[in-house]
Amino acid sequence: MTAIQVNISRKLKGKDLITIGIFSAIYFVFNFIFMLVSGFHPVLWILMPGLIALFTGVPYMIMASKVQKPGAIFLMGFITGLIYFATGMFTVIILITFALACVLAEAVRYLTKYKSFAGNMVSFAVFSVGMIGSPLPVWLFKDSFFDQISEQGMSTEYLSSLNALANNTILVVMILAPAVLAIAGALIARALFKKHFEKAGIVKTWQR
Amino acid sequence: MAEINKNGQIIPIDPRTALLLLLLVTIAVFSQHSFYVEIATLLVIFGLFLYGGLAESGLKFVLQFGFLLLLQYAIFPVAPKLFTDTFSILAAYARKVLPCAMMGAFLVKRIPMRYIVLAMRKWRFPQKLIIPLSVTIRYFPAIREEMGYIRDAMKLRRISGAARIEAYIVPLMFSAANTAEELGAAAVTRGIENPAPKTSVIELRLCPRDYVLIGCGIVLAAAAFHLR
Repeated sequence: MTAIQVNISRKLKGKDLITIGIFSAIYFVFNFIFMLVSGFHPVLWILMPGLIALFTGVPYMIMASKVQKPGAIFLMGFITGLIYFATGMFTVIILITFALACVLAEAVRYLTKYKSFAGNMVSFAVFSVGMIGSPLPVWLFKDSFFDQISEQGMSTEYLSSLNALANNTILVVMILAPAVLAIAGALIARALFKKHFEKAGIVKTWQR
Repeated sequence: MAEINKNGQIIPIDPRTALLLLLLVTIAVFSQHSFYVEIATLLVIFGLFLYGGLAESGLKFVLQFGFLLLLQYAIFPVAPKLFTDTFSILAAYARKVLPCAMMGAFLVKRIPMRYIVLAMRKWRFPQKLIIPLSVTIRYFPAIREEMGYIRDAMKLRRISGAARIEAYIVPLMFSAANTAEELGAAAVTRGIENPAPKTSVIELRLCPRDYVLIGCGIVLAAAAFHLR
């Protein structure tokens, strides 16, 4: 009698690719909602990466649990970046930070062997920090950035309230917020896993 | 005139042209500093809408653009400060992305997904990217539909506060996970994992009109860099 071969292939199969596609759609929609909301006030714009991290924890962690293979996060990031880029909503800066974050998140998952909650939580925190590229030009090219947006017809009130926020303390807050809120988002996801998803057999229980 | 395929869909231009044009319009819109380039971009896309038989929806976009201009130049200078503060960035942003949104709407309305998949295959995108990307784009309408059902169900059961967010996210995740299972099984049955090169009944061919459009796009993108 031959034992049943357990398929431990690390290559992405058809079903994995479809799962990635569906959860990327959900990730994108959540991301996009906060992208729109961030237009209302400079403070919302600066908190946007953090707010996105808080709310996308659930889809990210479900996908991470369902596709425990290399490339899943990279594809999710690539699809999100591609749609944003094709519709003209990503600047070069955010493409760079987002790509870096995806690569690092993949590396974290590789090193933590894909199966643990903690490893995926850290990878999600790294992944979430990638969104800071959206408000980052405020600090990177301070003066030329303000010239550029005032030329685009931003009101002087908006400019002055943004200028008041453009200091180093806020920069640190802006960078740390997504990491901290990503951990909160992942913990919320774990609570929902226990309450709903594991019982229903949608996701596997995390390994230690 | 525009071609009509066997399913009765109108395919005005090659999907590759449409995708290239989207890219060129994006480049033009985000590097232009000239009002003329902005207007020219809008007019080219409006022309494309007329050609594709989408006059009504094209007109809607142009009117929206007109409304945003009116808002920025006539209403904001005299409106109360709070109003201007809240909406000025949104208006500036909406005006900026309007041509891209218009081009995107054209793609959604006139180029079926299978043509876009075919275009990506012609460009030799890896299969590992084409599959999830086409699933993502096709799943957006499903999310919207699902949200509608969830909202209806919630109305029956008076849910409020943080529980509302949970009540949205959990069923959304359930249906997503189930769809992934079912779609995955269906796709495997239909040979998605077959390593042989994929074939298609549709043949893509670039016509003179495609070259004209790509030419227009390149001129707009180039003008965006040079005109101030």
